Amino acid sequence: MRGGSISLSGVQVLRSGRAILNVDNLQIAPGAFIGILGTNGAGKTTLLKVCCGLIKTNRGRVIFDNKDLSRLSSWKKSTLRKRIGYIPQTAEYNADLPFTLREVVSMGRTSVKPLWARLDSEDHEIVDSWIDRLGLTGRSNQTFRSLSGGEQQKALIARAMAQEPEFLMLDEPYSNLDFNWRYQITEIVDRLYQQANITVLMVSHETNVLPCCCNRIVLLHEGHILADGKADDVLASEALERAYKCRVEVVEVDGRKYTIGRGNA
Amino acid sequence: MDSFFYLVMLAGAIAGASCGLLGVYIVGLRLPFIGICISHAAMAGTVFSILLGFNPILGPIAFSAAAAMSLAVLRPEKSRVDPSVAVAILFSVMLGLTFLGIGLMRGSRTEVMGLLWGSILFVERINVVVITIVGLIFTVFAVVFNKQLKVLLFSRAIALATGVHEGFVYSLFLALCGIVLAVNLPLVGGLMIFSLITCPAAAAYQICTGHRQVIFVSMFFGILSSLAGFFVSYYFDLPTGACIVIASAAIFALAAMQKAFLGRRD
Repeated sequence: MRGGSISLSGVQVLRSGRAILNVDNLQIAPGAFIGILGTNGAGKTTLLKVCCGLIKTNRGRVIFDNKDLSRLSSWKKSTLRKRIGYIPQTAEYNADLPFTLREVVSMGRTSVKPLWARLDSEDHEIVDSWIDRLGLTGRSNQTFRSLSGGEQQKALIARAMAQEPEFLMLDEPYSNLDFNWRYQITEIVDRLYQQANITVLMVSHETNVLPCCCNRIVLLHEGHILADGKADDVLASEALERAYKCRVEVVEVDGRKYTIGRGNA
Repeated sequence: MDSFFYLVMLAGAIAGASCGLLGVYIVGLRLPFIGICISHAAMAGTVFSILLGFNPILGPIAFSAAAAMSLAVLRPEKSRVDPSVAVAILFSVMLGLTFLGIGLMRGSRTEVMGLLWGSILFVERINVVVITIVGLIFTVFAVVFNKQLKVLLFSRAIALATGVHEGFVYSLFLALCGIVLAVNLPLVGGLMIFSLITCPAAAAYQICTGHRQVIFVSMFFGILSSLAGFFVSYYFDLPTGACIVIASAAIFALAAMQKAFLGRRD
């Protein structure tokens, strides 16, 4: 596996005449780990979807591994997205259906195989190995809907990794998780990034749950990039206070910076 | 029992199995209203076929396939029209066309009115052959695209973002869905096909573990609804279509009670 690159220049996305995303320049190098932060409605998910070519831009260019997405047909764009492991927000998957955990993880092999081909023994080995690596072996035949929120998130990560992706894109992976599970998922994402050499884009509206490997933060505010730089610098910047419209205090624990909101700025 | 009734039972079983299989996807994709919308398109197609003297099988297929493809064009990723609004508008257009066609007819309207409630007791061998072939085509589609359909059922967002070619598979599904509904419509009827699609699949989703089990149980419940409905109507001299609907709803009620009182089999 190797990470891929994405480049955005002069990108604008309009909805009902209003610009919901305005990005002059954003370069994502192969193997980068980027946290996309911002308040609700800042344009984080829109940015993630623009990077995947899921949202058409009104202006500008998106280059996905040296390919201009605007020049590709829907079919070719879809083929290109086989390299993306995607973990959606809770509202974007149907957890009520009685799929077993193994079936959910097997879904990761779908786009890897040709359109007509069935999964073979090699695919099943890959699926089992990811279930095992995420510590879900005993739960394989349980339904996805019977798992806890944290276990469901682990299963979604296993599904994305079974795809052997070059990009891992996570959209609010910590929503609905308690403190312990947030920590566990953070550790898993950290470990996967170090082992798999992939490019990671992680969207979050929280500033305290980014994995240690997240070495760059893009801070969005009302569709614009307010800050883009090293995680420590952005977290300690005044831009964070502007984006979240409150005073922010930064404390350091075990070499990691944590932010605390301190009322209106 | 007259040998003719074996043909009726066979037709009922095949229609039940086809609708049970189709229902797994329609219910799982949370699109139950699409079933009623497309079946009304088939009704409009049948009415205009009778009115203009076209082939009574190809007319409804063309209408329902056209309605299904319109819904594929209006899918959420391609348009900003809310999918339920698109279905509702298309449904009213098809209903309007059906009644316009009925209004323009002269002479007996029995054949057309039969479309509302179905006429499984008047089934002919050709009907059985057609619904079997179409049912088999849909089964082949469900087997070949099983892995893509599972991702679509689980999450449209994942299917879109990870290159599952969901647009192609979803459009093909809607087109085949239109054809399955169109050929089963004369037997089961526009009003009843909705319950035969929804109830068996919804019951299977209540009690099953794993997608494969859902498919087999839903098809079995579809067959059971048809046969149980038929036997009740035969022995108590009641309307067949109405008995099939009540049987399918009773199966759903039993499955829901099983889940409520005995817990999920998760």
